[in-house]
Amino acid sequence: MEFMYATQEQFDRLVDFKGAREYHLSKSRVKKDKRMSLGEAIDRFVQDGDILAETGFSYVRSPIQAYFEIIRQGKKNMVSIGSPMSNTSYLMTANCVYAIHLSYIGVEMRGNDKNFARNIKTKKAEILSIWSHGSMALGFKAAQLGAPFIGSKQLLGSDMLKYNPYVKVIENPVGLDKSEPVVIIPALFPDVCIIHVQKADRYGNAVIEGPAINDIALAAACRKVIITAEKIVPEMSIRELGNACIPFWYVDAVVELPYGALPGCCPGCYYWAREWWEWLVRIGTPKEENVQDVMRYWIYETKDQFEFIEKLGGIRFINHATRLMEAAQANIDDSLVSFDYQEVIPKWD
Amino acid sequence: MSVAPANPLEMLAYVVSKNIQDKQIVYVGTGLPMVGAILAKKTHAPNITLVYESGGQDPIEGSMPWSVADPVTWRKSPITMEMPLSFAQAANGYVDVAFQGAAQIDMYGNLNTHIIGNDFLNPKARLTGSGGGNDLISLTENTIIVGLQTPEKFPVKLDFITSPGHLYGGNSRKEAGLLGNGPVAVITQLGVYDFEPVTKRMRIKSLHPGITIEIAQACTGFELLVPEGEIPVTETPPLDVLEILRNEVDTQKMFISFPPQ
Amino acid sequence: MTTNFEYNQEALKNLQIDDPSILDRLIDGESARQAHLKKERGKVDKRISLKEAVQEFVKDGDIYADSGFSYVRTPLQALFEVMRQGKKDLQGIGSPNTNHSYGIPYGTFSYSHNSYLGAEMRGTDRSYSKAVKEKKVKILSEWSHGSMGLGFKAAQMGAPYIASKSLLGSDIIKYNPYVKVVENPFKKDKDPVCLIPALYPDVVFIHVQWADKYGNARIYGPAVNDIALAVAARKVIITAEEIVPESDLRNTTNTNVIPFMFVDAVVHLPYGAVPGNCPGYYYWAREFWEWGIRIALSGKDDKYRDSFWDYWVFDCKDQFDFIEKLGGIRWLNKHQVIERALNGINEDDGIDLSYQSVIPKWDEE
Repeated sequence: MEFMYATQEQFDRLVDFKGAREYHLSKSRVKKDKRMSLGEAIDRFVQDGDILAETGFSYVRSPIQAYFEIIRQGKKNMVSIGSPMSNTSYLMTANCVYAIHLSYIGVEMRGNDKNFARNIKTKKAEILSIWSHGSMALGFKAAQLGAPFIGSKQLLGSDMLKYNPYVKVIENPVGLDKSEPVVIIPALFPDVCIIHVQKADRYGNAVIEGPAINDIALAAACRKVIITAEKIVPEMSIRELGNACIPFWYVDAVVELPYGALPGCCPGCYYWAREWWEWLVRIGTPKEENVQDVMRYWIYETKDQFEFIEKLGGIRFINHATRLMEAAQANIDDSLVSFDYQEVIPKWD
Repeated sequence: MSVAPANPLEMLAYVVSKNIQDKQIVYVGTGLPMVGAILAKKTHAPNITLVYESGGQDPIEGSMPWSVADPVTWRKSPITMEMPLSFAQAANGYVDVAFQGAAQIDMYGNLNTHIIGNDFLNPKARLTGSGGGNDLISLTENTIIVGLQTPEKFPVKLDFITSPGHLYGGNSRKEAGLLGNGPVAVITQLGVYDFEPVTKRMRIKSLHPGITIEIAQACTGFELLVPEGEIPVTETPPLDVLEILRNEVDTQKMFISFPPQ
Repeated sequence: MTTNFEYNQEALKNLQIDDPSILDRLIDGESARQAHLKKERGKVDKRISLKEAVQEFVKDGDIYADSGFSYVRTPLQALFEVMRQGKKDLQGIGSPNTNHSYGIPYGTFSYSHNSYLGAEMRGTDRSYSKAVKEKKVKILSEWSHGSMGLGFKAAQMGAPYIASKSLLGSDIIKYNPYVKVVENPFKKDKDPVCLIPALYPDVVFIHVQWADKYGNARIYGPAVNDIALAVAARKVIITAEEIVPESDLRNTTNTNVIPFMFVDAVVHLPYGAVPGNCPGYYYWAREFWEWGIRIALSGKDDKYRDSFWDYWVFDCKDQFDFIEKLGGIRWLNKHQVIERALNGINEDDGIDLSYQSVIPKWDEE
């Protein structure tokens, strides 16, 4: 295949079952304290040229503060994948990601992501393969199941098949009707993912509250796994409930990172900073220079998540976001909780 | 205070434990491999992690389990996995060694747990079937076989290949598309065996005290390969390790009393 | 009869299956899909008695899946009711599929899809061995735990099949008409893989600790294949230790939950896993299994076997009768304490795990 930026090796590595297996075999099994700072975790485990898998669901329990750190550290030549993968838009703008395996990049009900469209039009980044959420998720799931590939009824008849060099349509070798077509999806093995969770212990045993999306599969599939956690809890408190979904031996680094999903939401913790996303969609994305302004203010000139929160409104913002999430999850009386928010253009702009 | 020397099953448990290296993830079934694994954890390999096919991962210590899904196998586990996902960890490179037993073992480390007799539909005995045996030896990086050695249990030809070892020797395991190194050791009441690198035939690695090549061969249905030079004697358990085995590991003597209960 | 599926001819020959149409329903995804499309969508009270559930949902000839893990959270009391109602010619499947052996002498089960059938460290099931030799049961396919588990998992994921590295090179594939070995089409070099079709049993009972009246069910301890089986099977019956308010399940959303829309019936069945173990509730009746291995599963004289199952199944009305025979409330209390101790939620210092592996008096000659 001809690529604008990506290398053939990067392209092949995504489906290298044996390579990923060898990598996993080489990882330390020792149950040791893996805690480190976000800066150190990104520095050590996210390398230029890596295939980065997005986790969570765009703005739900996504490790957005860790993505900001990747941008601050100026990682480059990365390939991005994920279902969905909306935060990749800014990793492309920041020159961290130069190629993507596309499932969905957008801001859902807020509309198309003009920044993403511009990055593709101006050839700042290239698309290597096109997927649906379900078909890509089956690729991660196949990896988790140790299966070289998996048959599917997804993608059939769509043009995505013409833009996805990884999948094949074959006649169903096990079905009722031999001529019936089936799509086969290879197991997908990204290099690295960062998974933001509500609770983890120092070794990496991690608990997810709310939708896990692809994260359990990605933890098993990826060569390197970084956990960022709202809280680091004693191991025994995880054993008491037995509800971890990622075992410690998949995990390379554990970062205590309260508010690590901001400006997205974290189930059980805090609601979205919706005004922030409004700014981004309305002001931030239409022009390249505006995106640069947004990134300068919110990422490059922001040291960590606490400075980010200060810019959002500090403790008042967090208190409100926490209440909204509790109300949304029916954990508090929501009769007097207002979900209204100002769709305003902020003063600084 | 004097300590009785190791009986054959205690010797087996000890050798199993010595074949586990510290810092490994170990897939264990019930019986002697579990005794050996727990002994290893209590002695030279405190940093091993035990995982089970029924889904239990990294349980805290408890009594000897009665089944591979015994509560003890997932006692206060941070996570229990659905069964196919637990096996998948072996395929994905997250398991270093798995242990297996069998009714029959051949010179290439292939295992039979299906039938005794050559007529599948009318066997002399129908056995349990695969269970997780086929999956583990097919997917795990290294497998260690544990069993009692007799000519009937170590025949020239298996009545049924349930779990593929080195298949027909040479490269045949790799050509079949299987993962990992396959069986790397066989541990019996008589000795420890490995597989000659080219032919992949079973070869004596060490013999337990008092066991000669002739005795080992007499208890084997096929020809054992004998390495050059003097055959090492398998190390016997030191008394302090024996005491741990008896007083802290299999306290009810479910697996290590001899003759077996 | 003819079949529209292509089976491994060598396996058909080895297993002497003359009419392969008997194999079809297990992999007929379209018919399972149609069965699922016809299920009740309303959130209605689905509680019925065990008797009614077996009468209504277990049909002669059904593919009946064993759930749990042999003796762990397995709906054994439901199986005993299936035997009592004299259901016939069921196909037993499951990984493991240990328990369908008991019904073979009575014609309850006539066919096996085997992954593992035995009593683990207590030994092989000689009565099953005898049934195979006497042709009381016909083996339809052989599997490993992992490969059969992947078949259920494929069904759960809506995938027609899944590729695996299990079974390759083994004789199991010569005795499994369903699986195929192909070259991995993604690889330039030779790379054999085993294709495992999605598996759709007809009926499964799943014993859980907690369910609500609609069928939302929560499992504590290993789920084994049960989450996948709940999606795959055409008919799903939940037997539950406790029926809890729906809000109770909503408050604990995390692990191992079967949603109500998969479920056809809910049976409140405390002690439904006895004589097996139910995590968090009670430990095995180990003496029962010792007796079982030595008498009913010994493959010796049929009269011992018959007296065993007469005593424990046919002369028992329900699980309470069964527990009375085990020792009533004293037995139960002891096994609740042992289970909690093993789960690590009861002081275990001083808990006596020893048991008598003796043949009880009633069975001595």
